[in-house]
Amino acid sequence: MEKNIIEAKNIVKKYKNFTLDVPELRLPEGFATALIGENGAGKTTLLNILTGIRMDYTGDISYFGEYSDKDIFKNPEIKERIGYTGTENYYLPHWTMKQIDDLQGLLFEKYDSAKFKRYCDDLAVFGGKSFDGSKKVSALSDGTKTKLMLAGVLARETDLLIMDEPASPLDPLMRDKLCELIREYLNSGENKSVLFSTHNISDMEGVTDYAIIMERGKIVEQGFVEDLKEKYISVKGESRDAEAAKSILYTMTSSNYGFEGICLAEDLDKLAGLDIVTETASLFKISVAIMKKNSLIK
Amino acid sequence: MKISQNNGVPIYKQIADAFRSDILAGKYQQGEYLPSIRELAKDLRISVITTMKAYETLELEGLVTASQGKGFYVNAQDSEMLKEQHLRKVEESLTAAIDAARIAGLSDAELIETLKALLELQEP
Repeated sequence: MEKNIIEAKNIVKKYKNFTLDVPELRLPEGFATALIGENGAGKTTLLNILTGIRMDYTGDISYFGEYSDKDIFKNPEIKERIGYTGTENYYLPHWTMKQIDDLQGLLFEKYDSAKFKRYCDDLAVFGGKSFDGSKKVSALSDGTKTKLMLAGVLARETDLLIMDEPASPLDPLMRDKLCELIREYLNSGENKSVLFSTHNISDMEGVTDYAIIMERGKIVEQGFVEDLKEKYISVKGESRDAEAAKSILYTMTSSNYGFEGICLAEDLDKLAGLDIVTETASLFKISVAIMKKNSLIK
Repeated sequence: MKISQNNGVPIYKQIADAFRSDILAGKYQQGEYLPSIRELAKDLRISVITTMKAYETLELEGLVTASQGKGFYVNAQDSEMLKEQHLRKVEESLTAAIDAARIAGLSDAELIETLKALLELQEP
């Protein structure tokens, strides 16, 4: 039976002009889950709540089916099992690589310093040179700081990786590498799981098993990618049929040369008689369609 | 195994097709395990759920069996089912040929002639 690595119920966090309201959230164990949504949809707020960075919320969260968010201070081992990278660099600018290495060793029991150095080498944190303990964080570029955080978190023995926008500061080559690292991580044990938020849906699609799409503080769609690809279908047709198709398609754009859009598979019958082609939609297309449907952007 | 990201055939289907051909061609022994889901996902650079769906497709067809915690192993291929699978493939290919013939404006008689001619060419 499928297990959930995180289950959350009735999570509510109110801001002045924004409310995060998640009645139910389940993260399937053993998979990579992508959290997708517009800027300001509440992705980071949700991740910060799940990682315990933000504690001013109401609701219940359970981790690994055994820990509750209420005893986060009583059970330090739960923190050992979760790795996290945020959008902002959490290493202070004046820290040296050696200090970072030492600090991580102090903070986490299952931290492997040799592994940290190996990942730094693999990701070319020092531009192809070997690990330099005297180098300062402030001397690194934004992308390299992200690589450093990835090396730091992968050097630990964890069961769940939570990453907030890991792909954004990275170049295309490094995004590809990130996907590889995630696959390796999932392959390193039966029950390893990953949760990451991203705007780079296309780049990350090849590693995404489960998708959660958020809009304006709410989860508007979630499911295994393969199931979503059966639920939503990409449709293209001639412009003369655009009017007829408009009311049936989930979302649609049309031009002089024809229309294209996303259709719920269950509504496909209603398009019978129109001259259309259907194809499997990419996660990117599905996500954009769902986001459009729920967005305030006109 | 060659996987195309954008040839219209869902990736899980391409994987299932490749394994089906290999199994039917006898490249896997009875009881032999297919590569683990996560290993395959890593090697093919695709998501875990896609490989899982490919294996589940093969399981539905009765070609493999899932074993809890150990992966998927290849079933004994009884000759009846083998024949059925091959027959299905023949039908699929012939249907594709018929579609192409219609587009080309070939008559049924011409199509049958073509098939006959090709069959003769195949004779040893």
